[in-house]
Amino acid sequence: MRVNFVRGAPVEWLLDPEAEPWSRAQAEKVELYGTPIGMQPTEIIRTAWANRKIGAVGEVRVSALHNGEVIAFRLDWPDATENRDLDDTSAFPDGAAIMLPVVAGAPLATMGAEGKPVSIWYWRADADTQGRNVLSEGIGTSRTLDTKLVSSHGVWRNGRWNVVIARPFKIQSSDPQVALEPGQTTEFGVAVWEGSNSERGGVKAFSGAWRPLEIAPSTGGGKA
Amino acid sequence: MSKRQVAMVFDLNKCLGCQTCTIACKRLWTREEGMDYMWWATVNTMPGRGTPRDWETSGGGFKDGAAQPGRMPSRKDFGEAWKFNHEEVFFGGKGQSTHLHVEGDQPDWGPNWDEDQGGGEYPNSYYFYLPRICNHCTHPACLEACPRKAIVKREEDGIVLIDEDRCRGYRFCMEACPYKKIYFNHVKKVSQKCIFCFPRVEQGVAPACARMCPGRVRFVGYKDDQNGPIWKLVEKWKVAIPLHPEFGTEPNVFYVPPIAPPRYDENGNIDESKPRIPDEYLVSLFGPKVLDVLAILKAEMAKTRAGEKSEVLDVLIAYQWKSMFGGFDRDPATIEWTKG
Ligand code: SF4
Ligand code: SF4
Repeated sequence: MRVNFVRGAPVEWLLDPEAEPWSRAQAEKVELYGTPIGMQPTEIIRTAWANRKIGAVGEVRVSALHNGEVIAFRLDWPDATENRDLDDTSAFPDGAAIMLPVVAGAPLATMGAEGKPVSIWYWRADADTQGRNVLSEGIGTSRTLDTKLVSSHGVWRNGRWNVVIARPFKIQSSDPQVALEPGQTTEFGVAVWEGSNSERGGVKAFSGAWRPLEIAPSTGGGKA
Repeated sequence: MSKRQVAMVFDLNKCLGCQTCTIACKRLWTREEGMDYMWWATVNTMPGRGTPRDWETSGGGFKDGAAQPGRMPSRKDFGEAWKFNHEEVFFGGKGQSTHLHVEGDQPDWGPNWDEDQGGGEYPNSYYFYLPRICNHCTHPACLEACPRKAIVKREEDGIVLIDEDRCRGYRFCMEACPYKKIYFNHVKKVSQKCIFCFPRVEQGVAPACARMCPGRVRFVGYKDDQNGPIWKLVEKWKVAIPLHPEFGTEPNVFYVPPIAPPRYDENGNIDESKPRIPDEYLVSLFGPKVLDVLAILKAEMAKTRAGEKSEVLDVLIAYQWKSMFGGFDRDPATIEWTKG
């Protein structure tokens, strides 16, 4: 997927999934698969989900833009239910995430491995604009590094989620973080959680394999 | 398994159902945001559907070592924190024309909803109180369910704690715990539960529910402390057994089962041929071992009636209040507490 450069696009535009610049992005359809039952990290989860469908969302449209300073992904998918709250114990929120390898060769299916971390930018409908910057080195190890670096915002309208997840290129951090810059190529993965199906944690739909990501250089790109 | 294990024994023959333990816990631990419906310590009338509603048949735990699927209790099953029209009744100037009631939706369940209903038919009706906390299990289903390793069992004392920084509110633990002793904080979006008053225990102070209990029901101590009450009641005298051992989590809260007064026959005479609380019912709660325990207790009671001494009854009577706490008998008023 190509991350198009939109010269001068204000961050607020990139963070608005319905804003005009997104019409200039090249959306790519990404097929999603339920995480395999055998990969669920605890026996209790494997038992509880043995006869339940994991991965209610089968496909998501992904596009991405950058303005030279911030890179933003937009995910949109059909969803009949807008699950934003956790009012009852059995209510789970919808969620989505973008995953990027911190080092080349980090495995996607296990969310990284020891010494091969992945970076996860995470949006959850109950904390809409508080994106999470998560680091993972294997299933069960993910930890939130901060809730400031990653911005997010989702709009649910007419049975569709339209969610933006963004991060600045340049960051200062002592934690392992994915280094990104215009002109670079890397890979990305996607995950979607369907709250109405009680999806949370490793119970989710994911993109199965890394997909190429080509970040356009900060040249040309037209005016926003 | 942890190196050591703190445990409790609840003597059901002494529980008054006064809820002092419940309130002691509430005032100490569950007064913050999102905790209003939480009761880490509960006391229910048995037989009854309990707190949360029908928890005994909600699955979870282990069977022959294999994890069992469990149901997620709803907030209504626990019972909401009802809002009452206190203002109107006390300050509304309406006199007798109004009365105290729950505002909004009328509840159909709550903690201790079926209080004192019990079972059996008059004149042989029966009930007893069942206090419950998290059992700080040796094989904790909650801990094993969590994909984030957010639940830990402490090496030094076996207390099971949820790390709220690691918890992401997935609630697999709530489904897995067969005792349904985990609550979800809807404001903090994390799971929360009884902490065995670990900040007190670390200072040699017994948990608040135990210290506050006017019935001298709740014994505390290390399971392996041969001078303490737990070892004596559980290991030596074998009169305290876990609730629903078949759930497979190996609880560290043990119960001395209740002995009810005798029955009456059709003619109104005392009938000692059958127990008032049906054996089957107690077996359904505590497993078949409960019958052995009742036999031991009865034999010990017979001994004391014959003028002999009974160590186990002396322990259960708890002549010395402090003897109940297995060394965790420091007065909390002697400690300067700070909120971390
Ligand atoms: S009673 Fe439930 S919450 Fe407490 S340790 Fe056992 S399984 Fe966990
Ligand atoms: S404080 Fe003691 S007597 Fe009162 S309900 Fe609790 S366990 Fe029973």
